[in-house]
This record gives sequence, structure tokens and C-alpha cells, in this order.
Amino acid sequence: MHALILFRSLTYAQRGSRILGTRGIVSNVIKAPMGTTEKGCAYALSLRRDRLDAAVRALREENALFERAFVREEDGRYREIIV
Amino acid sequence: MIYLDSAATSLLKPPEVGDGVLYALTHYASPGRGEHTAANQAAEAVYSCREEAAALFHMPDPEKVVFTMNTTHGLNIAVRSVVRPGMRVVVSGFEHNAVIRPLYAIGARIDVAEGELFDPYQILNSFRHKIPGAGAVICTHVSNVFGMILPLEEIALLCRENGVPLIVDAAQSAGSFDIDFPSLEAEFLAAPGHKGLLGPQGTGILLCRDGARPLLYGGTGGLSRETGMPSFLPDRLEAGTQNVCGIAGLLRGIRYIRSQGAAEIRRRENILLQRLIMGLNEIPGIRVYSQGGALQSGAVSIIPAGIDCESFSRQLGEKGVAVRAGLHCAPLAHITAGTIASGTVRYSVSPFNTPEEIDKALEITEKISRNSYNM
Repeated sequence: MHALILFRSLTYAQRGSRILGTRGIVSNVIKAPMGTTEKGCAYALSLRRDRLDAAVRALREENALFERAFVREEDGRYREIIV
Repeated sequence: MIYLDSAATSLLKPPEVGDGVLYALTHYASPGRGEHTAANQAAEAVYSCREEAAALFHMPDPEKVVFTMNTTHGLNIAVRSVVRPGMRVVVSGFEHNAVIRPLYAIGARIDVAEGELFDPYQILNSFRHKIPGAGAVICTHVSNVFGMILPLEEIALLCRENGVPLIVDAAQSAGSFDIDFPSLEAEFLAAPGHKGLLGPQGTGILLCRDGARPLLYGGTGGLSRETGMPSFLPDRLEAGTQNVCGIAGLLRGIRYIRSQGAAEIRRRENILLQRLIMGLNEIPGIRVYSQGGALQSGAVSIIPAGIDCESFSRQLGEKGVAVRAGLHCAPLAHITAGTIASGTVRYSVSPFNTPEEIDKALEITEKISRNSYNM
């Protein structure tokens, strides 16, 4: 299972990915699935579900702004979770 | 050719800059549009350049580095963001038209902090008197005509003390001065990519403190359903497809500067500039605008005798020495220095010039000057 952390732009997602990289958390910058945002195209970090908590903690410690977090269910849909 | 026109564009660059441009031309697409390898590589290059530029100017937030076409583009954004019609704006007596024309276009009241060439104390004193109550201050760090270094940190301190926003034109200093943008607490700093940062033409950066008003409106690759521009940087100021090839070259240029250190680059340039100034001072009939070079960086202006600056510059060009003549798009600087009627011939160095080139340029200058002077 994997998770998504949604950012407000590509640049912020890239910054987030760099921060996670320094903490040993592997992530990929992807274009967010349209169902995860109501504002049109957005960017997200895709990462393993079991690394989500550590990733959120790292981003907050570095004051890297992100919008929302999602986990991908077995049926392929994304469910927002509170982090 | 002996290239001594680096204040206009740094033609002499590390070879990796050209390699970066060429690679991008054939491998990179648009960042933030598609999700294929070519788009992802472009996005990586653009973000890496943002990171390198932020590090060069000691900025913790790469997203506050905005890519522009050139310094003029950045200054237009900055001026449009800060200045309102009728606002009193204090400027140095050495500003480029990239500052003066946008101010006129907006209808600002331009208040020049006057002071003589190579008298930073007088200039600073003038700023001290004029900054209280001003709506904004715009100041070049180094005069593009005379190479004169302005007391930027002291002017920034005066702005902070008086709560007046500061816009810095770093067209001639970025890459050869260690500029700590956060400590200046300026609203904006505009710099070219194609001069001291050693990138290609068509690139520039605007360092932003906080918000800004867009100059262009359009697609940013994100928040597509919103009708307004994004509220955050850099997207707010980067509508449309970016100059990815240029940015890829700029990335290599900034990496080179960071590998050498801005202070080391300035040291190399200063050695060459001192040599040039000393040699020019020994040529009869030439008026050299310098006080030995301590207050100067990168450039020196002269006025030859018995010949106009343009003809003198042309003859230098015909003999393989590339310099620039005229007003250098900075008539205010010439009014300040008393050279508005004739303009000047400007020689400007790069860290890639050699002492031998300087000596050869001096020899050719001396010959042309002797012929003109004795006519």
C-alpha cells in the first residue's frame, strides 16, 4: 500500500522530496490524481504507507508546507487521512 | 578577440555551461506539465538551479528564487509589486533604465540620493536624509558604468530602521560578491543569469522576501481550475513555459561560482581590473574614472581625447578588443558623473580574462589613443 502527500505546487513537492531523501525516506514526485484535489492539477509525493508518519514529521520539522495526505485503498481509490 | 565587455554579458564561461544548454535542448521538456522522463528531468534541473541560487545567496527557501528573463524583467516585477503612482521612491544616482523607466511608467516621484562618483560616504549621507518617509528605495549594488560599489549593507540598514522596502539591483555584483539576501531584509533582489552568474542570455533570477504582484498571467502547471494566479512563490511569478535550456546552463554557471566562491572570483577580477586601471592611467590623453580601484568592481570607464567614445570603441573592436561605448542604458549615472554629453568607453573584466589579455588590450588602446590624440 502506498500513500500520497499533496503539495500546492511542483516546487514544494520537490523540496519535500529532497527533505525526505536526507532522512532516508524514498519518495517520488508525481502529478496528483485529479480526485485528490479540487483545484486542478497538483503535485504529490508518493511513498510507502509505512513511511508516511515519519515523512510528515520530517516535513513539519523542516517547515515544508504540504496540503493533505492520502492512502491508496485496495480498490485503487484514495482516502484522505488526518496527519 | 580580447573580450572586455563582461558587464554586458559574460561571453567567457566554464565549458559545462554550454554543455548544459545543449543537453537540455535535446533531452528536457517542460517541467510541471507531463510526467514522462523528459519533463521530470527538466523539473529536476529547474529545481536544482533554484536550490543552487538559494544557497549562493544564503536563502533557506528555494521557492523564493523566481526565474526571470533578465534583471530588467525582475526589476519590473519588483517595482510593480512595491511602487504605487505618486509614491516617493529614493534611488541612487547610478541607476539603470531598468529601474528608472518602470518608475516613470508607474508615475512614481523619483528622488535621487545624490553623491559624487566614488564618494560612498556622501552617497550614504544623502540616503540617510532621504529615506525617512519614502515609499521605497531602489539601489544598484555596483554601477554598470563605472564599477563603483555602493554601500548596500548600510543603505539596507537605513531602510530597516525606517521601515522602508528596499529593492536591490545586483546586475553587476551577483556572482562576484557574497550577498546574504536574508540579512539585507530587502523585498527583492534582481540579478541577471548571463553576467556574473555565467549562465546564458535570457536568464535571470529574482529573489523575493514575501509576496509579489505578477507581471504575466497564465498557466503554471498547477491549480489549473483557479482563475487567478497562485498566491505563493515561485508559481505566482512564473507563468508560461520556462527557459529550461537557459536555466540548465545557469545551473552549471552557479555551480561553478559556488565551487570557486564568489570572493575568489572577485579577487581574480580585481587583480585584472587593477592592472587595467594602472595601465589606462599611464596612457596620455585618456581620462580614467577611477580612484585606484578600491571602490570599484569589474568595470572601468574612460573618455579618450580627440575622438568620440563610439569611434574609439569601434576601433578597439576592429583590432580585436571588445568593449562598450555610450551611455550604457544608465543616463542617470552619467548625469551624476558629468559624462552625459560624451558617454564613456567601458572596459569590464571577467575571471576568465588573463593578465596577458589586459596587457595586449592596453597596448592597442595606447596605439589608438596616440593616433587620435595627436591628430
